[in-house]
Parts: sequence; structure tokens; C-alpha cells
Amino acid sequence: MSVTSAPAPATLSDVKPFGMRFRLKGLPWIPLFILTLVLIGAIGGEDLAPQDPNGLNLAAAFKPPFWQAGGSLEHILGTDNLGRDVLSKIIVGARVSVIVSFYAIIFSGAIGTFLGIIAGYFGGWVDTVIVRVAEIKMSIPALALALILSATLDPGLTTVVIVIVFTYWTWYARIIRSEILSLKERDYVAFAKVAGCGPLTIFGRHLLPNIFNTLLALATLQVGQVIIFEASLSFLGLGIQPPDVSWGLMLADARQYITYAWWGITMPGIAIMLTCLSSNLVGDWLRDLLDPQRRQL
Amino acid sequence: MKSNIIKGLANALVSIVGASLIIFVISRLSGDPVALMLPIEAPKSAIDELRKSLGLDLPIWQQYLIFLSHAVRGDFGNSYRWQMPALQLVFERLPATIELAIAAFTFSVLLAVPLGVLSAVYRGSWIDHLGRIIAMLGQAVPSFWVGLVLILVFAVGLGWLPAFGADSFKHVILPAISLGWYPVAAQTRIIRSGMLEVLDSDYIRMGRAVGTPERLLIWKYAFRNALLPLVTIMGVYFAAMLSGAFVVETVFAWPGLGRTVVEAVFSRDYPVVQAGVLVTSIVFILSNFLVDLSYSLIDPRIRR
Amino acid sequence: MRGATPLFVAALALLLSGGPSQAQSSNDTLTVAFGAEGTTMDPARYSAGVDQYFISQMFEQLVRFDKDLKPVNWLAESWSIQGTADKPIIDVHLRPGVKFHNGDPMTAADFEFCFQRLKDAKVSRWTHLQVNVEQFEIVDDLHFRLHFSAPDADYIVGNLQLWAIPKKYFEQVGDEGFSKAPVGTGPWKFVSRSIKEDIKFEAFDDYWNKDARPKVKHLVAKIIPEDLTRVAAFKAGNVDWIDAVPLSAIEEIKKMPGVKTFTAISGNNLYVDFPSYQPNSPFNKEKVRQAVAQAVDMDAIIKSVLFGQGERYEQIGKGSTGYDPALKPYPFDPKAAKKLLAEAGYPNGFETPCYNLTTPREPNIKEYGEAVFAYLGAVGIRCKVQGLEYAAWINLGRRGRNGPPDMDGVLMWMWGQGLPGDPATPWGGHLHSFVAGKGWGSYSYTDDKKADEMVEKLKGVMDPEQRVGLIKEIAQYAHDNVLGGVTTYRPVITFAWREKVEFKPWPSANWRNFKEVGLKN
Repeated sequence: MSVTSAPAPATLSDVKPFGMRFRLKGLPWIPLFILTLVLIGAIGGEDLAPQDPNGLNLAAAFKPPFWQAGGSLEHILGTDNLGRDVLSKIIVGARVSVIVSFYAIIFSGAIGTFLGIIAGYFGGWVDTVIVRVAEIKMSIPALALALILSATLDPGLTTVVIVIVFTYWTWYARIIRSEILSLKERDYVAFAKVAGCGPLTIFGRHLLPNIFNTLLALATLQVGQVIIFEASLSFLGLGIQPPDVSWGLMLADARQYITYAWWGITMPGIAIMLTCLSSNLVGDWLRDLLDPQRRQL
Repeated sequence: MKSNIIKGLANALVSIVGASLIIFVISRLSGDPVALMLPIEAPKSAIDELRKSLGLDLPIWQQYLIFLSHAVRGDFGNSYRWQMPALQLVFERLPATIELAIAAFTFSVLLAVPLGVLSAVYRGSWIDHLGRIIAMLGQAVPSFWVGLVLILVFAVGLGWLPAFGADSFKHVILPAISLGWYPVAAQTRIIRSGMLEVLDSDYIRMGRAVGTPERLLIWKYAFRNALLPLVTIMGVYFAAMLSGAFVVETVFAWPGLGRTVVEAVFSRDYPVVQAGVLVTSIVFILSNFLVDLSYSLIDPRIRR
Repeated sequence: MRGATPLFVAALALLLSGGPSQAQSSNDTLTVAFGAEGTTMDPARYSAGVDQYFISQMFEQLVRFDKDLKPVNWLAESWSIQGTADKPIIDVHLRPGVKFHNGDPMTAADFEFCFQRLKDAKVSRWTHLQVNVEQFEIVDDLHFRLHFSAPDADYIVGNLQLWAIPKKYFEQVGDEGFSKAPVGTGPWKFVSRSIKEDIKFEAFDDYWNKDARPKVKHLVAKIIPEDLTRVAAFKAGNVDWIDAVPLSAIEEIKKMPGVKTFTAISGNNLYVDFPSYQPNSPFNKEKVRQAVAQAVDMDAIIKSVLFGQGERYEQIGKGSTGYDPALKPYPFDPKAAKKLLAEAGYPNGFETPCYNLTTPREPNIKEYGEAVFAYLGAVGIRCKVQGLEYAAWINLGRRGRNGPPDMDGVLMWMWGQGLPGDPATPWGGHLHSFVAGKGWGSYSYTDDKKADEMVEKLKGVMDPEQRVGLIKEIAQYAHDNVLGGVTTYRPVITFAWREKVEFKPWPSANWRNFKEVGLKN
């Protein structure tokens, strides 16, 4: 059983997560709605899509969106150069964005948090090594490293996740580490040590709950970055490979027809923008909620 | 002071060597360049010969040591594709990327400063909200999409600006905007909060009471306070910009280092990949070092 | 930069001063744009077709194909095959009076020098083509003989392989000096080069051929790999000639006033291959292969996916050696394909990996592959599509590498042998079965004894006329048994230039050759 010394929490992050004040008023409704749509699209996938996203129909190539001359309600957002329905591809492409974000955040968060905790807690050479490695990795332009890594590992969905984890763990590690450094000095941690709690207990009972809020806000903010990163990789040709559908890949394919078919470029881009904007806004709201002093972020 | 410089340089050196190791190992694992360099009918003996002559049959740690020993003398080997020294190729392309980065940086500052100042001065108003939205948009879209849309609107649609290449000043505008949009959000936020910190203080209220012109208060005192954190964050975003340059250069056919490295990765041109990525890393490490240095110079409280 | 205003201003000033100046288009300079760039200007170091873009302007060979795709003697005044059937000799008489750009006369020693370099594995990527030449005999300055240890038709097919490389000059300036300032016998002299940007030539006044020569003094070739940029540069008048007009812009360019275009096959031959040599593979059965040949509507693909910029062919395309207009592709008949599959034991079709190249080596090649796979799926050959970028694709297709498992499904592939394109060497690569260490079948998924025999026999027939009959036989056999894959289409390429340019297309370097070009006022 832990012994807290302070009578009242000094900062909000000393409060257990589920005691956070829930402000219904400031809830970002629209962004949450958009994110829900994305989630539904990801889960529904091909079943939800009006057409087969990979269904070639050479006769229906380059149909514009329905509000333009030549468009029809059959292809609300138009078709691409092989007659595939743009709306369907966007819906199915949501799956890639969700999967990539989910796994990338879980894994990079886990690895980064773990390394951040042991670096901050143990200090000494463990800290030095981890910080060093992180610094070195961060000095290499992220996309360059991602490109080379993708080429090595055979491009594809799994590789994209691995590459993102490789790139983003340092983000978590750095922030968590400094959180731990400040938490480490708290009295209740010292008391716990004196009481004989092993490091694992200290991590689990005292440190983790207090950084949870930070983690949550960080993770939400990272969704946008991860989606953009995947889009960049796919755009360059070393990310998601056909026949998988990704918004970034749609942009790459549509690029050469930019004079011909403006919707090929615009639609997937808007999807990316709305998703990222929404997750950023939700992340901002979470951060305001959990860490109003914005110490670390 | 001096010990700081030495310590900083030593750290930078360790980072550079570490980066070179990571880049080397990962790129060597990325597939066989020899198969790409020979015509498809070439017999296995020709492939093995070429591999041997390039030193690619040695164990990887040995290759790394050879690479390192040559690299410190400035020899990164010859590009497999272009048959010219890799480092020379990199240095020929580097100025274009730096030019783009400077232009992008200029744009971001030109956009962020008014946005940030206005947001702070008119805090809470619609100007503040608009500023925040514009800034947020920059972080919500991939830079290459900004580029594509700009091309669609300004080059294809309106025909005002050229879409690709680097022949004149007009050519740098669209790429600079695409690349420079991303940091605007953070910069605006920093300027805004930095200024708000001061604008709320008694000091400023006193100044107002005494009759100091508002403009002076805003720029000489409030904005100054935001400068330091702004400079710090630029270091972080400089790396993002170098990274983003890879994609933006590809979209706009900008003849810079980023595009060269992307091409080199695709053709498994190890020497160019290594030279290019390492040079970019060195630029980043050194600029970080300089930022740290100038930081300690600007703020005497930091000097240890 | 870090708040240092003066530096900032200086940088801005630099920026505003603008980049490199535009190309001047005066009356004696022709400015053209290529979509790709060669990596070397040394003929002995050439490794890919794109290298010829520069090399072919400055260097020449003993024989070549003319504007009408007919073989003509070039630097060789005459040549003949002598000796015996088992140990032939190519006897060459050189044209007198040919000079290099630096004034040196061309002699047999220069060809011998080239031969030595082509044999040197440290220089040449094609050493395996010289293995059958056991001796280069210089008879006198304008006469030499190549002694073969075994008949080798591939030598003939490649324009007799050799280039005129100035031995004396090379020995003076060395390897590096030569690659920085090459000297040849061709109509254009090297002036300067900026890698990835442009290359400048000047017409060679003492060029030996008085009939077919450039009538303009300077040639500037800019490198603009981005399709839309190249077209934009052409429209804006920055360049007067471009290659590879992107498919979606062809209609528009053709309609432009004052613009001429030329459309021809690009030199690439695309086909679909599958592992018929594997006993357990469905493609081992002839009926399955025939089903593949009838499942795909190539005409529709050419029309829609390729904007009509493709030519169908069966085994050998029009203009290539041994072309037979009577040999037609299998008809598009998905019903028949399904029936064949059922007869072969796959009434419900089967699943197979399908490998597609995603890097655009030819326009829209990725979409073409996807379309082919879709058609295969419609008859029951269900594709597990895998997209591969160029390096991975090359590595997958190459036989005999020590690496991941062999290619086990449908593979989109291609062969190119310049123009007009002789199928002999490619057949050695993909029709002949794979034989480790011997160079046969380096990308072959076929194993047929009779085909092997025929291809090997073809290699020994050096007489150009005799070869044609044999080639037709092989093509017919391959077609009947669907061996060496199913041929799909040959990409067609369009060039565009302004009316003031008088351009006569020669096939060297896949049409990027400015042998005969002039500027009208």
C-alpha cells in the first residue's frame, strides 16, 4: 500500500486518471464525430464501400465527382484512371490509416515508454546509453531512415508499422523520461523505496498511473503525425503496396493526372486532413484536460 | 564556456559516427545493387566479379571499417550509378536543398510572426481563432499534399507560378510554401504564449500606464520574450524540414539532395545514400550544436 | 539564420537573384529535353539503353540500322564472315578518312583497344559477349579480323559490338580524363556536361558522313525526368524537342499548332511469364498457359490504360528480325480460357501470386499489370497481387540467385534489345531453360528441350539471312506451346518538336539520336 505524503495533489498529474474532471461542455464534438466516421470506415471496409475498391472498369475511367458534368451518383467522388471508385477507396483506405496508427502508437508508445522509464528511473549509464542512441537516431532525417529501412524490409503494411515504431519511439522516450525524472523526486516514491517496493512495483503502482495522462495526450497527438508519415512513405513508393489501398498511395497514383482529374489529388488529401485535424483537436482537448500547464508538450 | 564547446563538439562527433554506423548497416542490408548494375543476361561470374570489385563480398563489419577509414578522408566511394565520387554528387546537390530550406524557413517565419503576434494581441477574438486554425492546418496535412494542391491551383489552374524545376525565383515559391507550412503551427503557438506571458505582467501594465506606445510594448518587450523559445524550436523543426524536403523535392522536381537520396535508395546506390544521408545528419547535428551554443550565449542564465 | 539579420538578408538577396539562366534558343542552337539520363559517356562502360542517349551522339560502330531500320555498313566499309562453320572469322575493312573529334585518324588499333576494354570486367558489363572471340588480328590500319573459337550470332546482332574509341587520346588523358571529356567519331562533339541537368554538344565539322549530318551548330540536351515538367517546358518554348510525351498529354500536344510529332515503338517488348518449368505448378500444363493467353483483352488495355500507345505483338514485333505478319496472338476468349482451365483440372480456377512492377519503366506499366491481373481473375486465376519496386523486381525475376524462394507465380516482365530488336539474345535469356553458370536462361521460367536446341542452334548461325528462317521457326514453336511466357504489347513512344526543327529519326538510342537535324529560320 502506498503512502502519500502530500495532503493535496501538487499538479494535476498526481491525480489518478479516472478521477479527472470531465467537462462535457468543452468536448470537441465535430472532431470526435469525424474520427468515429473514420473508425466505422476502417471496420466496415469493403462491406461498407459502394463499389469494389480494386474493381477495374476501364470504360468508367476518370469520371468526375457527381456534381460535375459527366459525373453520376454511381461514383459520388468520381473514379481514378482505371475506373475504380474513389469513395470506396477512401473508405477502405481508412483501414490502413487506423491499423497503422493503432499498432504504431501501441508499439512505439510501449517501447518508448519503457525505455523512457528505465532511463529516467535508473539514471547512470543506462540513461546515458538510451539518451545517446535516441539522439543519434534523431539526427538522421526521419524520412531518409524510413526509406532505407523500407527498402531493406520489403515495403508493405508490416514494414510501415515497423518503420514508424523505429522512428517515433524517441518521442515518447524523451518526454516520459523527463516526467520520470521529476516524479522520481517525489516523496511517495522515496517512501515506497524505503518500504521495500521493488522497481517493478514502483513502475506499476506509482509512476505509470501518473504518466498515463501524458501518454494518452501524446498518443492522440501522434495519430496525425503517423498518418502523414505513412502517406509520405506510400507516396514515394516505399510504403503500402498495391493491392492494399492507402490514402497516400491514392495520391501517388493520381499525381500524374493532376491536369486531367483534380479529384484524384483532392479527395484523399481531404480525408487525410480531416482525420489529422480531428485527432489533433481531440489531442489538444485531452491535453488541456490532463495537463493544463502544458509542461512537457 | 570553452569546456562546453569542447563537450558539445565531442558529443556531436559521437553522434556523427553513430549515425554513420546506423545508416551504413541498414542501407547495406537493403538489397543487392549488383543485380541492378548489370544487364539481366549477365552470367553469375560477371555478377560475382563486380561484387568483388566493389568490395561487397566482405563481411559487413569489415566493409564498415573500410568505409569509415575512407570517409574521414572525405572519400565516400564512387556512385554506382553515376561513376563519379558520391560526396561530390552530394555537394553539388546540397546548395539547392539549403536554398529550399532557407526559403521555407523564411516563409514560415513570415507567416508565423504576424499570426502569433496578432493572436496574442487580440487574444480570444476571431483573429486569434482564425490564426490558430490556419496554423493547425499546417500540421494536419502532408507537405507533399500542400504541394500538389498548390500546383493544382496556382500552376495548372491559374498558371501564375511554375510547377516544377528550379530555373528562377518563381520556382521556389510553391516548394517553399509546401515545406514551410508545417512548423507554422508550433511557431505561432510559441510566439503567442511567449508574448502572453509578458503581456499579462505588471511590467507591461506599468508601461501602458506611463504612456509607452503600444507598438513598442508589443515588439520590444513581448515579442522579445518569445524569441528564445522560438529559436529553440526552430532547431527541432529544422530536422523536420530537412526530412520533409525529401518529399517536397520529389513533388516539385527540385534538383536538391533529398531527391537525389530518394533516387539513390531506389537504385540501391549505397555510396550516394550513405554520403547524402550522413551529410544531412551532419548538417542537422551541427546546427543543433550551434543552436545550443547560441542559446547559452543569448541567455546568460544558461551558461554554466 | 538564427536571428542574424545580415545573414538573412544576404540569403534573401541570393534567392532573389535567381537561379541558372534559361536556355537560349538562338538560330544555331537546338535545345532538346530527355526524360532520362545516361550514367556514362564511355561506350565500353555502357550498361543500359539509356546510356546510349549521350554515347550515340558522339560515338559510332561498324554497322548500324538506318532510318528505315535496314542494316547498313557504317564505320566498316565492308565486312564478311569467313573461316569455317566451327571457327568463323569476321573480316572487317574500315572506311578510310574517318577522323576523331580531336583530329586523330580512325584505325584498326582503336577497335582493338575497344575490344580489350569490353573484355575487361573492371570496365565492361558485357564481358560475356566477348568470350567467343579468341583473337583480334590487326592486318593493317584499315583492316582487321576477329577470330572466333565458336560461332556466335549474338556478336553480329549487336552491331558487331565494337565502338571506335580513340586509343592514343585515351592513353594520353587516362580513364578519368576520357570520361570527363570523351572523344569519338560521331557527328556531335562533347562540350560540357552538368550531371542531372544538361549536356552540351557542338557539331563536328570534319564528320566523315557528308550526307547524313547535323545542320545546326550547337545541341543542348536538358534532362527533365518529370513528365509534366518536360511538357510544360516544351509548351513554354524553353525546349524545342522532347522525348516520351506522357500518355495523357499526347492528344493535346498533337493538336498544338506548329508542332510535329513522331510515334514509334520504344524498343521494349513486354510479356507475362510464369513458372512452366516447375512440375507442380499449374502453369506446367499447356492448357493453363493457353488459358492465360486467351484470358486478357490486351486491345482494351492498350486503348484505355495506355491511351492507345501500345502495339500488340506475338513473339516478335513488326520491324524486328524474323517478324512474321501471319503469326497472330491468341484471341481474347475468356469462355474458352475457363474451359481450358477446367480441362486442365482447375474447374474452379486456382490461386497464384502475381508480381507487378510498380516503378514506371514504361508509362502506366503498373496499371497495365493490375489490369492484366484483373482479367486473369475473371477467368478463375485469382491473383494475390504483390507490387514490387524496380530493385526488388529485378532481384525476384533473376534466376539462380542465392536468396528468397524462386518466383512462383505470374510475373510481368520485358525484354529490350534496342531497335529494331533481335529476339535471339532475349530468347537465350527467357526461352532457353535456366542453366547455372552458363548464362542461359538468366530470367527463364521455361524448360523445353526442343526450344533449348533451337535457341542454341540459332546462336551458331551467323549469316543474317539464314537466321531469319530459324527465328520464324522458333517463334511459331513458342507460340504453339506457349513457351517463354505470353507476349502482351510493345510500348509506343511519341516525340514532339517545333516546326522549325528539321528532325529525321534514326533508331539508335531508341530514337534519341540527332544524326540528321537542322533548324529552319
